Amino acid sequence: MKEPLRDPPPIPLRFLEWFCPPALYEGIEGDLLEQFDMDIKAHGYKYARRRLVLNIFKFFRPGIILRNRFLFQLIDLIMFTNYLIVAYRNIRKSKAFSAINVCGLGIGLAACLLIFQFVSFELSYDKFNEKFDRTYRVTNDRYQNGKLIQHGTIMYPTIGPTMAKDYPEIEEYTRLMPGGELNVKVNDKNYRGDYCHFVDEHFLSVFTFPLLAGNKTTALKDRFNIVLSEKTAKKYFGLTDGNYTDIIGKTLYWGLDVQPYTISGVCMDPPPNSHIQFEGLVSYSTLISAEESGADNSWTWSDMRHYLVLKPGADYKALESKFEAFSEKYFQGDKVSGSVEKFFLQPLKDAHLYSDYEYDIARTANGKAVWAMLIVALFILLIAWINYINLTTSRAIDRAKEVGLRKVMGAVKSQLIKQFIFESFLITVLAFVFAFILVITLQSSFNQIVNNKFSLATIVTSLSSGNILIVVAVIIACVILSGFYPAFILSSYQPAVVLKGKFQHSSRGHFLRKALVIFQFTASAALITGTIIVSRQLLYMNSADLGIDIHDTLIVQGPELSGYDSTFIQRAESYKHALLQIDGVVNAATSNNIPGNRLGRSFGIRLAEEPSSSHYTMSNMGVDYSFFDTYDVALLAGRKFLPTDHKVNFDDLNTVIINKNAVKLLGIDSVQNAVGKEIVWGGDGTRKWTIVGVVGDFHQESLKKPMEPMIFRPSYGANNPTSIRLKTADTQKVIADIEGIYKNFFPGNSFQYFFLRDSYQRQYNDDNRFGKVISIFTVLAIIISCLGLIGLSSYTAVQRTKEIGVRKVLGASIYSIVTLLSVDFMKLVCIAALLSLPIAYYSMQNWLQGYTYRITLSWMLFVMPVFVVLVIALFTISAQVLRAAMSNPADTLKYE
Amino acid sequence: MGKEYLGEFEELVLTMVGILAEDSYGNAIVAEIKDRIGRDVNLSAVHVTLYRLEDKGLIKSHMGGATNARGGRRKRIFTITNAGLAMLRAMKEVRMDLWKLIPQLKIAGS
Repeated sequence: MKEPLRDPPPIPLRFLEWFCPPALYEGIEGDLLEQFDMDIKAHGYKYARRRLVLNIFKFFRPGIILRNRFLFQLIDLIMFTNYLIVAYRNIRKSKAFSAINVCGLGIGLAACLLIFQFVSFELSYDKFNEKFDRTYRVTNDRYQNGKLIQHGTIMYPTIGPTMAKDYPEIEEYTRLMPGGELNVKVNDKNYRGDYCHFVDEHFLSVFTFPLLAGNKTTALKDRFNIVLSEKTAKKYFGLTDGNYTDIIGKTLYWGLDVQPYTISGVCMDPPPNSHIQFEGLVSYSTLISAEESGADNSWTWSDMRHYLVLKPGADYKALESKFEAFSEKYFQGDKVSGSVEKFFLQPLKDAHLYSDYEYDIARTANGKAVWAMLIVALFILLIAWINYINLTTSRAIDRAKEVGLRKVMGAVKSQLIKQFIFESFLITVLAFVFAFILVITLQSSFNQIVNNKFSLATIVTSLSSGNILIVVAVIIACVILSGFYPAFILSSYQPAVVLKGKFQHSSRGHFLRKALVIFQFTASAALITGTIIVSRQLLYMNSADLGIDIHDTLIVQGPELSGYDSTFIQRAESYKHALLQIDGVVNAATSNNIPGNRLGRSFGIRLAEEPSSSHYTMSNMGVDYSFFDTYDVALLAGRKFLPTDHKVNFDDLNTVIINKNAVKLLGIDSVQNAVGKEIVWGGDGTRKWTIVGVVGDFHQESLKKPMEPMIFRPSYGANNPTSIRLKTADTQKVIADIEGIYKNFFPGNSFQYFFLRDSYQRQYNDDNRFGKVISIFTVLAIIISCLGLIGLSSYTAVQRTKEIGVRKVLGASIYSIVTLLSVDFMKLVCIAALLSLPIAYYSMQNWLQGYTYRITLSWMLFVMPVFVVLVIALFTISAQVLRAAMSNPADTLKYE
Repeated sequence: MGKEYLGEFEELVLTMVGILAEDSYGNAIVAEIKDRIGRDVNLSAVHVTLYRLEDKGLIKSHMGGATNARGGRRKRIFTITNAGLAMLRAMKEVRMDLWKLIPQLKIAGS
């Protein structure tokens, strides 16, 4: 046996030495080595080494380690008490500085905590699904004549089964189609206002919405089966005991359907962070009539949303690349559906934050904005920490004597560093307390802004242990970093110089301090620019000319229980007529959709004179003849619809109106020439319609979306909402009158209304929220930066008291002294403001990309913030500077 | 001493320190326990117990002389104090008193 093999392994022994109290170390190590030697003789080296390592680890126990700490603490405890006392005296001695430090840090931390709540909620979407990381949404782009005409999530019911059949890496698929409003009759009582989806039987397996009653695999299999959410089940059946099994098998009636729907399950309410929201689920097979399964096999019926679950380990990009062949195989270019179909996969984790799809059922938010908020919050925290560093180092001179004395008494550098880091830790702890108080008081107003129910408790419990570690690490790193620089500066003073009293202003650290101030104000100025631009864009969107008038427009939901019959048009006409009799109602129209909603698209429109191979896509809307008058849509050529355009029988309709974009799309040179032309629309490419008029383009959807080619047909529908233009001072009375008439014409139906402007503006909820949050944070950033500036300027003023006195004695005016004191700071702020310009320009340009219609970035938008920052900074330091400048030199110079 | 109690293991280690007299250190105690009652005990557990007993003043320790064995490390030798001996004796007596209270018939019967 070679000699080196008999040596004990060094690393475990070093570990032992590290944690073991020095007094006990020798005895313990000796015992271990003795045993090691005996083990070698008895069992050989390997066994001995293993046992030694094991034994060393067994010594790593509280009985040994705590003994260690105790000895160690005994020495430090005395110094520790001293540090605490000194820190306490220091905080008391300079109350203003301590307050600035604690407030600044506290505000920064509070902002971070609030934003962190929001961001972590937004990032948690859909994670509750067990197959979250393997679930993908199929998306579908359609091209006509080489141009993208639809970027959507809807496709044909055949896609899911066919893909699952063709590609073995797909584990399962599910199909979903929004079922609309669930206006139901349960036990002879009507309920309205809940929404449901048609989903196939795989839905509950792909997504995790646990059933409280019913069978997961069969609940959504049979026709006319419905699964209710817990909330709806409680509402419909008055359940309080939570015993949902009782209602399984009970029936309800939906809308005008004579067939009862059987309740086959009750599922838990979808969590708020689910991109799919519903109150009920109806089986997909309900959509497919029992006699013929044509719909199920359709390659043209495009209403289905698809989700795929891939097998573990499958690469979705690889699968996605096969979809081109899939499209070619089943769609043969544009021969089957009239457009070239491209399919993509979107990971479920992107569904909430990174979706820009049309016909999207997902609850979406702007991912960029979410990250921007997080970055802003971190910036605020950074600004606050910079304050701390700046103030502490600038005040270092006050502590110089203390440091000198400590050094003389034998303190080493590492002890001093420890002391100052401890002080910064103390300040940070106080700041945390302050931050928590702030968060608790501000929570409810913040919740209102972000429209959510956050609390500190939920955020703490929702944190995974990994995240907690990150947070703790960040905090510790920040404490050390913010404490380290001042500690380093302070501890490096030479006692001989300091104690002689010659120690004066040190120029060291000036550069860093300046750089930090510049950074603070760059961030503040960029935030101000951002806020101004965001609010300008919001203002623009809220006040832009939409091409239609949505003000003072009341929308009354269509009657849910009345069916369409040959007399319906007559009835609707008299209803509208009766509405117009009300004093305060200017006009009324019904349409199958209202502004603000995504319209349906027709893909196979062409001019009758063109060959049947050409296809154009337009959004369509069914409106009655008073629609354009009610909404004040400009007529560019031809005429609006007349009452005679309406026909009882849908097949008899033959007139359409198109908008200007549609004229352009069809390649007609002028709006006048479009009138009178025939187009082919529907009826398997045979049905002809005559264009009777052309109207101006209007913003059917928000200004984020482009205005599309649109086609209107005359229509009355049983469930169409009524748009009523009001002009009255007493809205409540008019609404009551309208309700009276509605109840008269449609007895038994529920009267539901809202103002169009409110629902239209809801498209900007996300943007408004971003705007509010960003402006709040800008204000916070400015406050914190200014706190820092106040601290610095007052300190400089105090430092230069004598200089000012001498200058005044020699005849300097107050004005010149004010200039002298403020010019240094103003220079920094100027540089910062200039630096902020490119940052703000780039990021705002980027943000505005998300809006099809946006403000132009004029130079005024960038000059203003610079000006604002300068004024704020000047104002902030003025108080301190003026006080210093006005002081009587006799007072300041008499002590020497 | 009435308020102080010793755990079973503490008592065992204390006894061993008493038995081993001038040669009682960690390893020796482990070996002694193994020899006398055939029980495998952990070295670290013995050490921790020794330090605890030392805190309680039942034993005291000093470093032994350097030898060539043990990689030149000295032994920490423990010796029982008077308090420790008194403790052991008191415990023994209490136990004997209690023992006497057990009806002797039971033993004869079993």
